[in-house]
Amino acid sequence: MNAIEIKNLRKEYKDVVAVKDLSLDIKEGEIFSLLGVNGAGKTTTIKMLSGLTCPTSGDAFVYGKSVVKDSDGVKELIDVSMQETAVARKLTVAENIEFYAALNGMTKQETEEVKQKCYDVFGLREVAGKMASKLSGGWQRKVSIALALVTRPKILFLDEPTLGLDVLARRELWRTIADMKGQMTIILTTHYMEEAEALSDRIGVMAGGKLLFVGTKEEMYAATGKQNVEDAFIEIVTGGKAL
Amino acid sequence: MKALGRIFALIKRNVKEILRDPLSLAFMLVMPLGMELLFYFIFHGQSQQFEMKYLAPGIVAFAQAFLSLFSGLLIALDRSSAFLTRLYVSRAKSSEFILGYAFSLFPIAFAQSVIFFLVGGIIDPSIFSVTMIVAVFLSLIPATFFIGTGILLGSLCNEKSIGGVASIVIAGQSMLSCMWFPPESLGKGVLTVMRVLPFKNAAELLQKGFLGYSDFFHEFWQPLLILLAYTVAVFALAILVFKKKMREK
Repeated sequence: MNAIEIKNLRKEYKDVVAVKDLSLDIKEGEIFSLLGVNGAGKTTTIKMLSGLTCPTSGDAFVYGKSVVKDSDGVKELIDVSMQETAVARKLTVAENIEFYAALNGMTKQETEEVKQKCYDVFGLREVAGKMASKLSGGWQRKVSIALALVTRPKILFLDEPTLGLDVLARRELWRTIADMKGQMTIILTTHYMEEAEALSDRIGVMAGGKLLFVGTKEEMYAATGKQNVEDAFIEIVTGGKAL
Repeated sequence: MKALGRIFALIKRNVKEILRDPLSLAFMLVMPLGMELLFYFIFHGQSQQFEMKYLAPGIVAFAQAFLSLFSGLLIALDRSSAFLTRLYVSRAKSSEFILGYAFSLFPIAFAQSVIFFLVGGIIDPSIFSVTMIVAVFLSLIPATFFIGTGILLGSLCNEKSIGGVASIVIAGQSMLSCMWFPPESLGKGVLTVMRVLPFKNAAELLQKGFLGYSDFFHEFWQPLLILLAYTVAVFALAILVFKKKMREK
């Protein structure tokens, strides 16, 4: 079953075409990575799929709900963790979770359940009473991603989740994301090749707003004759004129 | 019902963010209180402006100008940190966000008014009267104007520029409200400009509400109507700009 069906999705900003007629299906329960260099159109794609920005043309369907005609319906099924950390700075970790749960209409019991789940999945129990602004960048990022789980989304968008994290924090977050596999569909954007290699069921490569390749990493190796995602990515993006 | 729950959640979060910032409390409560005491003890008896019956309502209006800075700062910081983007993905609507930001500052505006009038009354007990209660409630009108201005500025400015831009509003309230000098000392042209702008009207509304009025329209309804017009205009603009920025995200 497809969780997302994207049909000729296009986004133009004045004279710049950020996403060019993107068509793609994403299966339920998979971790799908969108790879691309800066300006490839990854974040714009996520923003369109999550109802944060309207497509110029085309449409996408999240479990059959149109992002153009029913963005409120789409918002009930998804959550997003953008590349910038998004937490309320002067609330504690627990208060952040409680606030986001209340904003999404959860009862006290539901809030308590989801709080315990966030503590367990992200190891937040030890910092639950600390103010978000007092946490390190890595912890803040964890809280930011944990908040996206509060609404128990069927689809989770993670935009550059490990950007700016040190290598240990990054590996720990990989493990957390891998543990969530199967519980929801995860769409991940990244320009860390090893991240896509370690986590993804399928990979999409974008450049200049266009989707150049979709497939598993094995299919990516076979199509390019390369042995790792980074080399295969460079081969696809440069059209064989490797650096 | 669900919308009310979301607005209440936003108010609760915003109040906590503001009250946990010592700087905002210092500017909104401690500094104006210091000015009230200082100006009264240094200058009272020298000029009518510094009699407590004029000074206390003037200080309330001045302190409320800081609401524009701190409501603007809250929104600008939320925008810059992508926190607002996260909230946009929630089920909340733009009108709920605006109400959440606006209502979180009313308890502070109310506290400012009560504290500055009470302290004024303690220093000069002759000013205690029923009209003090009237003035406290009237002060919610200038408070609404300044909060709306803050929401507008916070939607337009980033977290670095909001301080400078909101300072213009605060300076306007200080310099163009006739708080520190008698209106007779100013030229006709300057006074006309002051009457058209919201600042003098904000201070005058509280002073007249507190003191009573001799000229029913000129001294009370005129500042009230001018300030209400500014408040409606600034909120309408704030809603438009906030919604536009929300769509741009």
